[in-house]
Amino acid sequence: MSTPHTVSSDLVVIEAPRRPSLGQRAGIVLVSAITLFALFGPWLVGIDPARQQLERYLELPSLGHPLGFDQLGRDMLARLAHGARLSLSLATVSVLSAAIPGSVLGLLAAWRGGWPERVLAAFADAVLALPGLLLVLLLSAFTPGGFWPLYVGISLALWVEYFRVVRAASRILLASPHVEAARLLGFGPLHIVRRHLLPELLPRLFTLMRFGFAGAVLAMSALGFVGVGLQPPTPELGVMMIELLPYYGEAPWLIGAPVLLLFLTLLGLLLLAPEREAA
Amino acid sequence: MRPVPPSRRRRLVVACAGASLLPWSGACADDRGQAHSHTFTTAAADVLTVVGPWELTGLDPSRAGYMFSRMEVVETLLDVDDRGRLQPRLASRWQVSGDGLEWRFTLRANRRFHDGSEVTPENVLACLRRAHGRPGVLTMAGIRAISSQDGAIVFTLQRPFAPLPYLLTHSSCQILAPASFDAGGRVIRIIGSGPFKIASISMPQQFDIVRFEAYGGLAIPGRIQKARYISVARAETRTLLVESGQADLAFSLDPPSIRRLQRSTKAVLLSQMLPRTTFIKLNSGHPLLADVRVRRAIALCVERQGIARALLRDPDLGATQLFPPSMGAWHDSGLPALRTDPHAARALLEQAGWKLGADGIRQRAGQRLALNLTTFVDRPELPLIATALQEEMRQIGIAVRVIIGNSSDIPAGHRSGGLQMGLVARNFGNLPDPVATLRQDFGPDGGDWGAMGWHNAEVPALLGRLASGAADGGERARVAAILQSELPLIPVVWYRQVCAVSRRIEGASIDPFERSYRISQLLWK
Amino acid sequence: MASTRAWRGIATALAQRLLQALLVALLVGTLCFFMTRMLPGDMAYRIAAGRYGYDMVTTAAAEAVRLELGLDRHWLVALGDWWRRLLVLDLGVSQVTAEPVMLEIERQLWPTLRLSVLAMGFSLLIGPTLGVLAGLKPGGLLDRATLAVSTVLRALPSFLLGLVLVLVFSVQLGVLPAAGHDDHGSIVLPALTLALGMAAVSCRVARDAMIQVRGSAYFAFALTKGLTMGQALRRHGLRNVAAPVVAYLGVQLVYLVEGVVLVETIFAWPGIGHALVHAIFGRDVPMIQGTALVLGLMFVLFNALVDTACAFIDPRRRA
Repeated sequence: MSTPHTVSSDLVVIEAPRRPSLGQRAGIVLVSAITLFALFGPWLVGIDPARQQLERYLELPSLGHPLGFDQLGRDMLARLAHGARLSLSLATVSVLSAAIPGSVLGLLAAWRGGWPERVLAAFADAVLALPGLLLVLLLSAFTPGGFWPLYVGISLALWVEYFRVVRAASRILLASPHVEAARLLGFGPLHIVRRHLLPELLPRLFTLMRFGFAGAVLAMSALGFVGVGLQPPTPELGVMMIELLPYYGEAPWLIGAPVLLLFLTLLGLLLLAPEREAA
Repeated sequence: MRPVPPSRRRRLVVACAGASLLPWSGACADDRGQAHSHTFTTAAADVLTVVGPWELTGLDPSRAGYMFSRMEVVETLLDVDDRGRLQPRLASRWQVSGDGLEWRFTLRANRRFHDGSEVTPENVLACLRRAHGRPGVLTMAGIRAISSQDGAIVFTLQRPFAPLPYLLTHSSCQILAPASFDAGGRVIRIIGSGPFKIASISMPQQFDIVRFEAYGGLAIPGRIQKARYISVARAETRTLLVESGQADLAFSLDPPSIRRLQRSTKAVLLSQMLPRTTFIKLNSGHPLLADVRVRRAIALCVERQGIARALLRDPDLGATQLFPPSMGAWHDSGLPALRTDPHAARALLEQAGWKLGADGIRQRAGQRLALNLTTFVDRPELPLIATALQEEMRQIGIAVRVIIGNSSDIPAGHRSGGLQMGLVARNFGNLPDPVATLRQDFGPDGGDWGAMGWHNAEVPALLGRLASGAADGGERARVAAILQSELPLIPVVWYRQVCAVSRRIEGASIDPFERSYRISQLLWK
Repeated sequence: MASTRAWRGIATALAQRLLQALLVALLVGTLCFFMTRMLPGDMAYRIAAGRYGYDMVTTAAAEAVRLELGLDRHWLVALGDWWRRLLVLDLGVSQVTAEPVMLEIERQLWPTLRLSVLAMGFSLLIGPTLGVLAGLKPGGLLDRATLAVSTVLRALPSFLLGLVLVLVFSVQLGVLPAAGHDDHGSIVLPALTLALGMAAVSCRVARDAMIQVRGSAYFAFALTKGLTMGQALRRHGLRNVAAPVVAYLGVQLVYLVEGVVLVETIFAWPGIGHALVHAIFGRDVPMIQGTALVLGLMFVLFNALVDTACAFIDPRRRA
């Protein structure tokens, strides 16, 4: 079963790079801002995210504490900053560790063809047979609260998509006249990959990575929901969404913060590489 | 592409149209239900809906028997009133022999089960013997034999056990009709003798009940005729059900929900302090916790009032001692209250030889003061309290790792000796007289939900005297005092049950022993 | 003849799905087996606590359970036994309720199927429709609006979306029940929660496909021929838009199956997802295995149906 990404790739057009549009510039700004927040925020805010002052529970935002305090009297901005760092790095690592092996295997499969390709495809189908969340749930049930099952589970669940997309797209590209010509001219595989395949593949990979990213963070909140997530007092965006859910009536800004952060990250990534307008 | 012939196209269109109707029929199929489940589907207007987090894990009395007892479908031999005094139910009188080894319970005559069969001593005997054969409350009493003589049930004990009648109020000793059991002794139906009978059960989530007219009592207009229990796991959803008017009685609300409902016009909140305490169960045999100074230091760093106010939204719940005021004679208001004093805690730890290390955690002879705190999610406030405790202990230099698991981790950890600290919520009102429960908790080897690795001969002896009925008055206070000073268990907060009652009904009250929802006493407004 | 080739193509695809189903079963089974062995703590205690409630569970109860279940054989022997029983669909008995797992699943399967089908139906009604309309005017108001809304929906966890819907429709407007299984329409909110998440993606896929169709030669020719936009859409456009949308359904099924797990818990909908969450919670391994297996197989089945639908819609795929 092929993915929709191949349906529209009858024609391969390599365009000259354009100046970033307004949307793309907004995207760059957003993603950079969030990355800086995740990297330097904890240091800038300077408050210990685990330090609790029970008498200040659910205190309203004020100048010194822009997001107020959570249900245990911990500074929300500090928790958000640490949470952003943990979640975004976990998501990035999961997604990259799914994307890179997946893409490489996909390329290899498309290049070699024959038995290696069929074996890899069958294996990919087998793993994809189980929806990712189920796999992560099952793995996490082994060691509730463990960090590694989440990471391994999410990567395992994600790599198949990259494999299939890259394999399908590469098959078509490798059969195209450009690549054939390049091969006849004697160019090596690395050169062909770099010049002919990557420009086509990267946008598609990027699209997948965007949603893989959001999916990884949401998977962690799903695990927290079920009770096999990370243990306290680890600040993590997904887990915070669950912990703060009961306070949606009294202090909606508390749960709004991680949700908004995730939304802005996703929006930024979306704007960075907009879907193609026309064929 | 080849054009699709018109006839084939028409068939495709019809097929698609037909398929698109499927979801709607799915929506409407809601109330027809499945073969095994609910048979009546009237609108919710005349059905009392009760929601709680507990699920039906089975029909056996030892499993989910408490659900049927609370919805007043089944009865036990005896009842208790709000103050814990025994009341007759299926048994009309009871007496004990002089040596305390033989108890007689005379059964009421002319009581019937929902299927019309009579409540005979043989039926009752069969149920009690079955309950005794399974793990449950009756094993606490040391029963040698149960028999029936002249319309009465006779218990012969190995040694005197004064709380025996209280054991018989427990829902695992409920009396079911013989037709409830199959040939192998498994419960296949619930046929009890209470004011309501089962209309349908759809495991594990809900069951419907209907009033049993032959129960007797006046037919007051406005009585509840039909009721339903729905199990809803998440506290927010329970609150939303109340707010949207779908639920009439909702239990086990979490503190933020209580705040919301206080401001809502849809429901009235009832509350009642229950004899349930949340405490830290310590492994007093663990090398780090064997020193009573360390235990006292932990007790001093717990911010009870803060936790009660911030997490439970109820400052009165900060525990001053193990037994809450609602436990009557067990609560000694003269005992010096547990207080919060982090400085004194740090001083105690220094005295015990634990010096602050570079990372803020204390060390002694190269060993870090690091402990695990095990808790579970079955009660939603526990993980939150555990997080608060973790930080409080970090402030005095103890590194705590919180392990959130399943409630079975605690007894498992107790038995294997691997448990270090456990945060539990113990229901001392499991039985109306706490003595039996406390004997389990403070036995010679401690108890799954009680002390661990703590060797004290006095407390088991005192509890033994209370159990045999040879008490002379000061035992309860003495037990409370010893527990307060030795601290094998560190009390954190007490517990208040809050129930949301919709404005459609009146006459609601909370049973402090959680045995009944008192539906038969409710009236529609 | 074309139709024999078509059937052969479909048969190959179905055979592949069958193989996938087998692999799912083995994967889930093996994971669950190791779960019994490797979960921290004592299995017998968990089971006993699950059965009798934590106020009542004691050492004696756990011993009774241990004897009952024979939890002490060597692992290789047990694994072989496990596989053998799995392949004959002997899913064992729930460790919490002592009812056969098959029986529990039978009870719970129908609500989940109803919920999934309705959610799919809603999502197909909302997503592609809006996507096609947005694609007719790329860059227009509807296009940008759907982009914004679909991004929000993708970044929102499903429990929050469910909560918002309940607040709006049940609490404020009072038109739909908030949770449970019995009242009229209590299926609507859970289905809508699932559908909105899926529609967010299918909307954009349909929009992209619509843009491509509009820019294609045959569509331009249809308009030149004199057909109105509506006629051109119906005769030439929709089937071509449907092709990638239906193909993407396969990917959406992943979100459906994952979403069912969360949504059923939030709305107290007594289906397989709800049962899986409770089973993981209670470490009830036979139930975890049974429900995960059913969800996995359901996923494979729906994918097979999507494959067949793809084959019908796009003749090119039948080869």
